[in-house]
Amino acid sequence: MQFTYSKVCKLSAKPEFIDAAKSGNILARKCAKCGEILLATVYYCKSCGSKEFGDTILKGAGKVVTYTIMTVPPAGFEDLAPYAWVVMELDDSAIRVSGFLAKISTPEDLPIGTPVKVTGFDERGIVLEKL
Amino acid sequence: MERESVCVLGGGSTKYGKLDDSISDITLQASVGAIESAGIEPKEIEAGYISNVFGVADKQVHLGPVVMSNLGISECPSLSIESACGSGSVSFREAFANVAAGFYDAVLVTGTEKVTHTGTDWTTTYFSYCSDFFYEGQAGASFPGLFASMARAYLHEFDATEEDLASVAVKNHENGVLNPKAHLRKKISIDDVMDSAVVASPLKLYDCCPFSDGASSVILCNEKFAKEHSKDYVKVIGSGRGGSPAALQGREQLTTIPSTRIAAEAAYKMAGITAKDVDFAEVHDCFTVAEVVDSEDLGFFEKGTGATAARNGDTKLNGSISINPSGGLKSKGHPIGATGVGQVVEAFEQLTGKSGERTVNDAKIGLTQNFGATGASCAVHIFQSV
Repeated sequence: MQFTYSKVCKLSAKPEFIDAAKSGNILARKCAKCGEILLATVYYCKSCGSKEFGDTILKGAGKVVTYTIMTVPPAGFEDLAPYAWVVMELDDSAIRVSGFLAKISTPEDLPIGTPVKVTGFDERGIVLEKL
Repeated sequence: MERESVCVLGGGSTKYGKLDDSISDITLQASVGAIESAGIEPKEIEAGYISNVFGVADKQVHLGPVVMSNLGISECPSLSIESACGSGSVSFREAFANVAAGFYDAVLVTGTEKVTHTGTDWTTTYFSYCSDFFYEGQAGASFPGLFASMARAYLHEFDATEEDLASVAVKNHENGVLNPKAHLRKKISIDDVMDSAVVASPLKLYDCCPFSDGASSVILCNEKFAKEHSKDYVKVIGSGRGGSPAALQGREQLTTIPSTRIAAEAAYKMAGITAKDVDFAEVHDCFTVAEVVDSEDLGFFEKGTGATAARNGDTKLNGSISINPSGGLKSKGHPIGATGVGQVVEAFEQLTGKSGERTVNDAKIGLTQNFGATGASCAVHIFQSV
């Protein structure tokens, strides 16, 4: 993990977050004051209120915390069901992210704790795959 | 600061369900119901609070001036409040704060929603805009999906089964049968729930509240105004609000809703009571698992035991704590902008002897809890009979 302590972070880092996810990573920030690690989409530290962060790239690998299997999907996902929407916790930190995981039809396909990784970002948001 | 004592003087609701009338019509119908129930003249209303989320779907936003004009009080100031499924309780809270502070003697609080004409696909999609869209809606999570993820976490962590969750739906339908304004007035069995189509596993169709149209309205006023108009009023003795991380991924635990706990603590403190003093509660049961989590977060049951309590019948009408005597969102229906106000109408009717067959015996204190999205925002209110 490498931290580049910068002045004040960018107000909206979504483009950079998306680029990182496309490479299988999660863009996070470490608070320069208290050390809290947060997703790069926040601007103030939730622990100490500071906005001085160092950017860091976390590996997008982790384990399933919980999920659902969507059989009645929202618009745009009709042809993809059934699929899973997953909350995962990264191996490198306590950070959790959520995303889309294709072709899951029964709970046997995805027990809680299953290793998964970030593989991309597109119109389905963060895209995950089983490791 | 010295606060005015705030009272609910009257309440009115349309039937909840698939309604033909327009959003401005149902908003007016509920408002007139509240005004007539309170025995006041429209010109006595000093401000209007309208809660609504998807007015745009029925070609009418800025509903306040429309309803005020139709009430013959076009000069009365009004506003609209959107806070997803928790809009009604947040609007009620803002009205409460203004009456408590002495700005107004009497105000109109009306919640309203009209969505069923858009169809299930679009309603599901519109509702997903209430999530933290970048992480949730955009990645294919619907609201049933988000609560299903909480349900899976709950079933994994605690001694609870899908049948226990189903017992919440069965109980709320039993109550809803007794409510003439309820959307789904039919008895169902555990098997009906278990055999219904899976929407987002582990939640099935009958674990989910329906999409409903409907409007509910109350008159909120100070005690002097209430006494001058009617004997049938109830006191608002507690009010609290809270927040949670907008996305589920931001929460350390997925089996509790932080905003509910924060709001409840504030409301209990203001009222000077504890959960044990509450005779009935109207809680936010958008999905069966939500009622179980709510019943724990509000302090009625220890964490992890809410499902067992539901299974054992503790939450039935006139059980140890009557939860959702109206039928709740599950059976009474969930017109999202109206729901929080509709809960207050139920509390008013329960505490003034107007709730017919679904009456909670000897009730003196009622609580309402209504949240937005997956509980990212929440308001809790406590009411006492006079």
